Amino acid sequence: MKWVSQDMDMFLGAKEYVDTAVLPLFPVSFGNDIKQSVAMTEFIQLLTIPLERQFKGRMIMLPGHSYLKNKSKEKLLEEVIVWEKELFDNGFKHVFFVTSDSMWKSIEGELKGGLIWLPSIPLAAMDEGARNNILEDQVKQLLQLFMQKWQEDV
Amino acid sequence: MSKHRVSRRQFLNYTLTGVGGFMAAGMLMPMVRFAVDPVLKASASGDFIPTPQKISEITEEPTRVDFSFEQKDAWYTSEVTNTAWVYKDENGEIVALSPVCKHLGCVVDWNTDKANQNRFYCPCHGGLYEKDGTNVPGTPPIAKLDVYPTQEKDGFLLLGKAKPREEA
Repeated sequence: MKWVSQDMDMFLGAKEYVDTAVLPLFPVSFGNDIKQSVAMTEFIQLLTIPLERQFKGRMIMLPGHSYLKNKSKEKLLEEVIVWEKELFDNGFKHVFFVTSDSMWKSIEGELKGGLIWLPSIPLAAMDEGARNNILEDQVKQLLQLFMQKWQEDV
Repeated sequence: MSKHRVSRRQFLNYTLTGVGGFMAAGMLMPMVRFAVDPVLKASASGDFIPTPQKISEITEEPTRVDFSFEQKDAWYTSEVTNTAWVYKDENGEIVALSPVCKHLGCVVDWNTDKANQNRFYCPCHGGLYEKDGTNVPGTPPIAKLDVYPTQEKDGFLLLGKAKPREEA
């Protein structure tokens, strides 16, 4: 489900079936790595669309958390832990963070939720057909990951 | 020279009727056009969308067919890709099923659950459907999968808008 009112009606009616929350993490920077942070954000945004469509009935795709890259790691971690706590407190059994920013990989251990890190691909330079194929491949791998996680809990 | 002589009165009568008729038509045509407009619109929305699937290549095994079309959301037009599971039934008729689970809208897959061969499986909550799209009792879905109306053009498959089926 997306974070839109139409889907929220469905969510409220079928809460017991929705046990997974996904929070995309979007880096924002105006320094030298401005283009890189844009590419990461763009890639994850594109990727979350097919992911949500595939698992519409079991996961809620949150609008995403944008953060400034020049903040310290500790501060950023603190913020995400607040998110995580809020989601677990609200009854979600699985919480996932999806990002292209490798910074999170180094503090993955501090998070209770699962971190899915995918290297961003320069999609802007590709034509639509190639882009869709690559996205589809990536999504397929992601789906496997989610299904595995769900099965571990059964 | 024509044998028929046209008097001044007749000539004026003809020209006036002609010009008057044009003017009346000019006024009436747009009105008629507005009146029948809804009818013209309705016929345009029942469009069939072409898919890259060749009719001759459809087998009895459900295969995934992706097709894309332009969707308009208010002022925003986007390219949307939809999927259908297409196969031929025992009578050789083409069946195109929508992959959207009738439970909560996840995307079902053919033959992916090892315990349930030759069935559609929904990875979200374990919903199952038979090959013809009938929901397996005891699993979460409560209705059959939607079907796309199909058409053929130049050997390729065309799909309409997916329709829900009546309860069996």
